Amino acid sequence: MAARAEFLERIRREVAKTPGLFGASPAPRPAAPAAAAEAIRRELAERWPEALERFRQEFERVAGVFHRAPDLDAVPEVIGSIARERGVRSLVTWDPAVLGFDAAPRLAALGCSVVAARAGAEDEASRLRHRADAAGAQLGVTGADFVLAETGTLILLSGTGRPRSTSLLPDVHVAVFGRDRLLESLEQVGVMLEDLHVDPDRTMSGAMITFITGPSRTADIELTLTRGVHGPKEVHAVFVEVP
Amino acid sequence: MSEGLLQTPFPERAGAALKDTFLQEALTIATTKFIDLRKESFAGFPAGEALRDRARAIKEATLQHLDVHLERLADNVERLGGTVHWAATGEEAREIVLRLARDRGVRMAVKSKSMATEEIDLNEALEHAGITPVETDLGEYIIQLAHEKPSHIIAPAIHKTKGQVAELFSRELGGRFEADPEVLTAVARRVLREKFLQADLGITGANFAVADTGTVVLVTNEGNGRMVTSLPRIHVALMGIEKVIPSMSDLVVFLAILARSATGQKLSSYTTLVRGPRRAGELEGPEEFHLILLDNGRARQIASTLREALYCLRCGACLNVCPVYRQIGGHAYGYTYPGPIGILLTAMLKGNESVRELAHASSLCGACKDVCPVRIDIPRMLVELREHLDREKIASWTERMVFRVFRRLLLSPAAFRFSARAGRWLQRPFVRAGRLRGLPLVFGNWTRTRDLPPVAARTFREQWKELR
Repeated sequence: MAARAEFLERIRREVAKTPGLFGASPAPRPAAPAAAAEAIRRELAERWPEALERFRQEFERVAGVFHRAPDLDAVPEVIGSIARERGVRSLVTWDPAVLGFDAAPRLAALGCSVVAARAGAEDEASRLRHRADAAGAQLGVTGADFVLAETGTLILLSGTGRPRSTSLLPDVHVAVFGRDRLLESLEQVGVMLEDLHVDPDRTMSGAMITFITGPSRTADIELTLTRGVHGPKEVHAVFVEVP
Repeated sequence: MSEGLLQTPFPERAGAALKDTFLQEALTIATTKFIDLRKESFAGFPAGEALRDRARAIKEATLQHLDVHLERLADNVERLGGTVHWAATGEEAREIVLRLARDRGVRMAVKSKSMATEEIDLNEALEHAGITPVETDLGEYIIQLAHEKPSHIIAPAIHKTKGQVAELFSRELGGRFEADPEVLTAVARRVLREKFLQADLGITGANFAVADTGTVVLVTNEGNGRMVTSLPRIHVALMGIEKVIPSMSDLVVFLAILARSATGQKLSSYTTLVRGPRRAGELEGPEEFHLILLDNGRARQIASTLREALYCLRCGACLNVCPVYRQIGGHAYGYTYPGPIGILLTAMLKGNESVRELAHASSLCGACKDVCPVRIDIPRMLVELREHLDREKIASWTERMVFRVFRRLLLSPAAFRFSARAGRWLQRPFVRAGRLRGLPLVFGNWTRTRDLPPVAARTFREQWKELR
C-alpha cells in the first residue's frame, strides 16, 4: 500500500506543476447508456439491411466468408457443408442453449465428433477435458454478440457456455448471428460497451470481450501477408434471416 | 539493450547500417508499403482527421488528471479480483514479475509483443532466474531466436530476409525449412502452439487500459495476445502509466485510428478486452490477473519538456516517414524505441545524456508530426531537447561554442553585416559547383555528411537597400 500511495503522490505532485494548460476533455459519454443503446437498436431495426450489406462487403474484404441461413434450424446444414468441404472431423461449439441451435445431430450424421461446452461444468477435470477437446478440434462454432458493419468485425463476449478458445484454437471459426446483433459504427460499439459495463455482473458472465476482424494474420517475414499464424486460418459468418 | 552496441558511437552505427545493402532494400520496401497503406486508409476515411483531434484531446485530458485515472483503474482491477503492482523503475517491475513467477513455480512464460517488457529487459531477467520466456509474436520470436532486438515498433524483424529466417529456424528448431513465409509461419504456429498450452504464465503489455471499467486492451493481428490471456493460469500485464484512458467511449476513438496509422487496417484482426481473471462460470482464462503500472521516468515528464511524448500510441507511423529512420533502420538508434518518437522516449526513460548524439538524428522536416495519429509535435520537442543538451553541458564543448558565437552574430546587425562579408571572402576556397564542401577544422564535421549553401553574393539586406 505504501508503494501505491508514494507512487500516486509523485504523480499528483507532477500534475500539480502544470496549471493553466488549455482545457481538454475526453470523449463525450452517453448520460443514460441503456437508453442510448435502446435508441441505436430501434434505429437498426429499420436500417439493418444496409448494415448487413456493408458488413458482408467489409467482412469479405478482410478474407471472411459470408453465408446465409433461412432460420436457426438450417444452420447445422450450413456448418455441415463448411465442415465437409474442408474434411473437418472434429468440432467444438458454444453451449447449444447459448447458440439457440444444436449442431451435433446433423454433424454426427456426417461422421464428425462434436463437443459442446456446457454451462455448469467448470470443475478442474472439465477444464482439462475441454482444453484438450478445443486444442484437437478443427472447427469451432460460436455466436456473435455484436456485428460491426463499418469494419467487418465480430464481437464476442466470453462467459458461461461461451469459452474463449472456441474462436481461437481450431483452424476454422464459424460465428452465427441474427439481425439484432448488427451495428453500423465503432461509435455505436462504444455506446454498447458503456451499456454493458453499467452493471457488468449482470450483463457479462465472462472477463473477456474479443473483436475479431478476419482470420489471424501476420506480415512479419518480408511483409508477406500470411494467414493463420496462431489463430484460425478461416473465419465464416452465418447470418440467420429469421431468428 | 545490450550495452555492447552502445559502445560504438551513433555515427558509426548509422554508417554500418548505410553500408548494409540488404537492410537498405528491406527498409525501403517496408517503410514505403506502410506509408502507402496508411495513406490509402485515411484517404477513404473522412472522419479520421476529427478523430485524431479528439484522440489528442483525450490524451491531454487524461494527463491533466493522471493520478485520478490511475487510482480508478487500480480500484476497478482490484474489485474484479486482480492485483495491482506499482513499479517506479524498470528494476522494480522486473522484481515484481520474477517474484510472482518464482512463488508460483513458473518454468515457462509465453509473451505477446510488448515494448514495455523490452524497455525493462524482462527476458534477460527471466532467463537469469531460470524461467524460459517465449516470445510468440512471429517477428519477436524470430529476433528472440536470433538473439537480436526489434528494429521496428510493429514489425520487429523487418531487417531479416526469408532466407535468413529459414536458416535460423533450421538451425534452432532442427529440420530443413524452405525460405517461404507460408512454410516458416506454419513452423512457428506448430512450435508455439505447444508453448501456449504448456506455459503457466502469460505476459502482455497493454495498448490501453480503461480506468472506468478496469479493462486492459490488447491490439494484435496474430492471435497470440488472445492465447496468452486465455490459456496460462496466470496473466501479468505490464503497462506504462500513460496508457490509461478514462472510458469505453474514449477507447473506440483510439481503435478507429490506431490500426489505420500502423498498418492501414480498419481494425487489427483482434482487439482483446480483458477484465480481470476468469469469472466463476468460465471454463477458460487465468485464475490470477496482475497489472503492473510502470513509471520508469514517465511521471517526471508530466510537467516537463517531453510531456507530449506521453501521448504516444506506439503505432510506428513516424518511423516509416522519417528520412533518417528510412536510411538507418531501428538498430542504429541503439535503444528499445527507434525513430523520431524513439529519441524522445529514450531521453525520457534513460535521461538526456543518452541522446547526446541521437537528438540530432532528425532533419526536423516534420513528416512525423503530420502522420502521428495524436499529432505529437516531435520536431518541437527535438529542438527543445537540443537546447537542454546545450544548457546541461551534455553537448560537446565545440558545438556549444560554435552556436554561442553564431547567436552573437545573429543578435547584432553590425556583427551580422561584418560576418556576411567575411564569410563571402573566407568561403572562396571551399565553394564547388555552388555548394560549400570540405570545410577545414571542426567545421569539417558539418560538411563531412552534408553540403551547405554558400553565403550569398549579396545578402538580403544589401539587395533591399538597392531596391529602395
